[in-house]
Amino acid sequence: MPASHEGSGVSGHRGPVRAPQGIAGGILLIALAALALWLTRDLDQGTLNAMGPAMLPRWLAIGVGLSGLALIAFAFIRDGEPLERWSLRGPFFVILAILAFAVTIRPFSLGSLTIPGLGVLVAGPLAIILGGYATNEARFRDLLILALSLTPFCMVLFGDLLNLPIPIFPQAMASLFPADWSQKAIMRLMAAVLVVAALVVFFTTRGSRKTAIDVADHSGRI
Amino acid sequence: MKKIALALAAVAGLAATGAQAQNYPTRPITMIVPFAAGGPTDVVARIVTDHMSRTLGQQIVIENVAGAGGTTGITRAAQSQPDGYTIMMGHMGTHGAAPALYPNLKYDPTKDFAAIGMAAGTPIVIVAKKDFPANDLKGFLDYMKTNAEKVNMAHAGVGSVSHSTGILFNSIIKVKPTMVAYRGTGPALNDLMANTVDYMTDQIVNVAPQIQGGNIKAFAIATPERSPVLPNVPTTKEAGLGDYQVSAWNAVFAPKGTPPDVVKKLNEALVKSLDDENTKKRLLELGGVLPSAEEKTPEGLQKLVDSEVARWTPVLKAAGASAE
Amino acid sequence: MSDLLSNLSLGFSVALTLQNILLAFLGCLVGTLIGVLPGVGPIATIAMLLPITFGFDPTGALIMLAGIYYGAQYGGSTTAILVNIPGEATSVVTALDGHQMARQGRAGVALGVAAIGSFFAGTVATLVIAALGAPLTGLALLFGPTEYFSLMVMGLVFAVVLARGSILKAIAMILVGVLLSTVGLDLETGEERMTFGLPFLSDGIDFAVLAMGIFGIAEIMRNLDHTEHRDVVRQSIGRLLPNKDDFKQAYKPAIRGTIIGAILGILPGNGAVLGPFASYTLEKKLAKDPRRFGRGAIEGVAGPESANNAGAQTSFIPLLTLGIPPNAVMALMVGAMTIHGIIPGPQVMTKNPNLFWGMIASMWVGNLMLLIINLPLVGMWVRLLKVPYRLLFPAILMFCCIGIYSINSLPTDVMFIALFGLVGYTLMKFGFEPAPMLLGFVLGKLMEENLRRALIISRGSLETFIERPVSAGLLAVSAILLVIALLPSIRKGRDEVFTE
Repeated sequence: MPASHEGSGVSGHRGPVRAPQGIAGGILLIALAALALWLTRDLDQGTLNAMGPAMLPRWLAIGVGLSGLALIAFAFIRDGEPLERWSLRGPFFVILAILAFAVTIRPFSLGSLTIPGLGVLVAGPLAIILGGYATNEARFRDLLILALSLTPFCMVLFGDLLNLPIPIFPQAMASLFPADWSQKAIMRLMAAVLVVAALVVFFTTRGSRKTAIDVADHSGRI
Repeated sequence: MKKIALALAAVAGLAATGAQAQNYPTRPITMIVPFAAGGPTDVVARIVTDHMSRTLGQQIVIENVAGAGGTTGITRAAQSQPDGYTIMMGHMGTHGAAPALYPNLKYDPTKDFAAIGMAAGTPIVIVAKKDFPANDLKGFLDYMKTNAEKVNMAHAGVGSVSHSTGILFNSIIKVKPTMVAYRGTGPALNDLMANTVDYMTDQIVNVAPQIQGGNIKAFAIATPERSPVLPNVPTTKEAGLGDYQVSAWNAVFAPKGTPPDVVKKLNEALVKSLDDENTKKRLLELGGVLPSAEEKTPEGLQKLVDSEVARWTPVLKAAGASAE
Repeated sequence: MSDLLSNLSLGFSVALTLQNILLAFLGCLVGTLIGVLPGVGPIATIAMLLPITFGFDPTGALIMLAGIYYGAQYGGSTTAILVNIPGEATSVVTALDGHQMARQGRAGVALGVAAIGSFFAGTVATLVIAALGAPLTGLALLFGPTEYFSLMVMGLVFAVVLARGSILKAIAMILVGVLLSTVGLDLETGEERMTFGLPFLSDGIDFAVLAMGIFGIAEIMRNLDHTEHRDVVRQSIGRLLPNKDDFKQAYKPAIRGTIIGAILGILPGNGAVLGPFASYTLEKKLAKDPRRFGRGAIEGVAGPESANNAGAQTSFIPLLTLGIPPNAVMALMVGAMTIHGIIPGPQVMTKNPNLFWGMIASMWVGNLMLLIINLPLVGMWVRLLKVPYRLLFPAILMFCCIGIYSINSLPTDVMFIALFGLVGYTLMKFGFEPAPMLLGFVLGKLMEENLRRALIISRGSLETFIERPVSAGLLAVSAILLVIALLPSIRKGRDEVFTE
């Protein structure tokens, strides 16, 4: 999956623009300033005696915008850096992993979509495995072992030892166990199961170590 | 992995609705405290639940969900399963002042909750800087008549207890001082001690040490009786301002629809906790006021919430206070 | 003097009971281990661990909590050095040169210098608190809104004076940082500012979320671009502990950092936050070759880390002597004390001398514990860098998510680290540096609030900033610094302070 592409193709450009990075940065700053000005448009600026909520943000936004203009101006005067290469794959999977964690850790609903709270048990491995694909060196087996061993560690550390009110496993799973089992006993059992699973994966797939799994094939699933 | 995730999702989707009230509680209960750990409400919650956990035989885990004057946490708690496993510690702000301060509030304090019972009241004290040119409430009121435009009143931020109670105080004594906002009581007290601002109203637990230490002066305490923590501070009634009666109360609520026998169990555990000598002692040390027999009942609390909303809404709206 | 000695001996008799030594040790250990998790700074750690102290007597509980605090603080620096994720504002500076040292295979030296510098600063600060705690109380009251605003201005000038590469870009980033700090409900009027109507933005952007996004997550994204960079980190690991030359370079910055940090820590309203920045600025100005800064200069770790720890400790002064918490961590300590039935205030010293002096003595004990715990751990942390990056970063990612979630239990906070990660990545690609932005963010909120307070109290007169002597002095220093910065001749000698 070739995920990087060349900036806007200006790196070799020899025109009036002598610092493409400055232009891009300047535009970014001006856009930011415009956004801030637009967002504070309805707020009162007040007077020095009683400064309103908009006074400081507005002046700051103007300052940011002016810096942006200056950057652009300098980009025509002085030589500067070209634009760097951007990669899409890294940011994409990293963001995907974080979002996956955020929507599964506790019940989440957006419009008609509702995801039940799945706790660290699901959110943790999701973040590790999805995130792991941010690099093209990703190997599913290694990530799986990592997920299966770090998740129980976190479950025991946060849920058991520190008693944090962080959801550990889907609440409905508790009904699968005998009623007199305590929350912690269930958690410990699950952690143990995960560790065993990690060991099983580790030992059963030891031989296939060299086999790099085709990354593109897996990246969309899970 | 996909299959496992789907299976888990399916299982979780069946949500544990079949929680049987007879056996309640069979797992730990989460209490949402809508303020950061360490604040007055959090402290009350931790003291009270300590004993409740023992009665119920299950731990009550405190989850601090702070934000927007406590309304973030209460919103979340109001929307959670009404199975008795999520309860909350509401207070004067979230269940009294909030509807006036937050026009887009996602819950109705009078309708969306099953009241459990009051935990503790925290009296409000009127305090002023050490150098203030008056020594009692009467002198203060006289001074305010002629110098109101010179005076600065501090508060701990829009939506805080000191802000709401301060607005009520100003509306009763009919003055409009310059309001200076701080982020929390600490910095406000710091400037009060440094004589930078003139007066404020706040919870006894925050100001008592400074009054005892002689760093600020107290004019009156807004309760019917004097507090054992500050025996020399007169009540507002004694000082001639009986209209100003206000307390930052903390009370336990559950989401609306919680089964009545669960509410009963929780209420019994709360009452038992409040009758415990150790709990009492710790709450009193904070300057807290223990709830009356009526306030300890769900009905009494519901009545209090109704009257508090009715009381705060006009006062705060008239002052143009809003946090949105 | 004899008072001091008798008080300290009382304190040590309390702190050196077996139970309290154990609690200090336990607190430091747990604090370090939790604080090391990316994104989990001291505030989150103490909030998390508060309940486990419930079973103890108040003195023991507070000793343990204080231990957790130093531990978490130190653990945060470890994360900043190893993976470039500052857990709180004060470790932003440590991340600059500390992480560069780690990349050069000198992670052990950086961690060692940080531990030893912190211990030294802690020892001095303990003595300062014991000897001068009560008289220095007045200093906190000297600083009103006017003075505080001027102090914040000076803080921003630090960033401007020293940021270079492109001074313009640095200024722009500071402005953006201050702008970001104004997001949320307006403190005076309660109106929403730039929140897009989103309720979770109404309390503003959390520092931990912003820092983890633009430093930590963006760093991961950038590392994924440059395969060659991160391999450097794990190939050569070098010495584990600092040697004689390192000490020679580091001891003077540590002493200066301690003094600066101790003074700023006493100020109300989180003055301690400026300590590491001020120390870094000073070290860079004094250095023969300022170019080394930002590229792994040991002084850039020793000075700020000492300032950080000294400030962390002296910020107990307003809490212990006045009962006024100067920052969020201390506010949490107030809560912890009240839960244990001790209401902080001016009377604590006279009413509970055992607790008061026991806690001060335990600060030193805690610092010693920190050294004992951390020097052996250095080896373990450094070995962590040997883990292949393709496995290390998904793990960091998950810990970041759990850490951020555990602070407020808000999934939106977790989503925001992704957003800020992308922002940080974009900024880096356009040649901006995140550090000045974070400094602007931290100082911005305090600056605006105090400016407005000062103007309300002075009824709109700007002269108040010049009429008040302390404020005027601070502004004068800022002006001089700025002039120096803008004189072209001196400008040539300037180097990158905040460069990655």
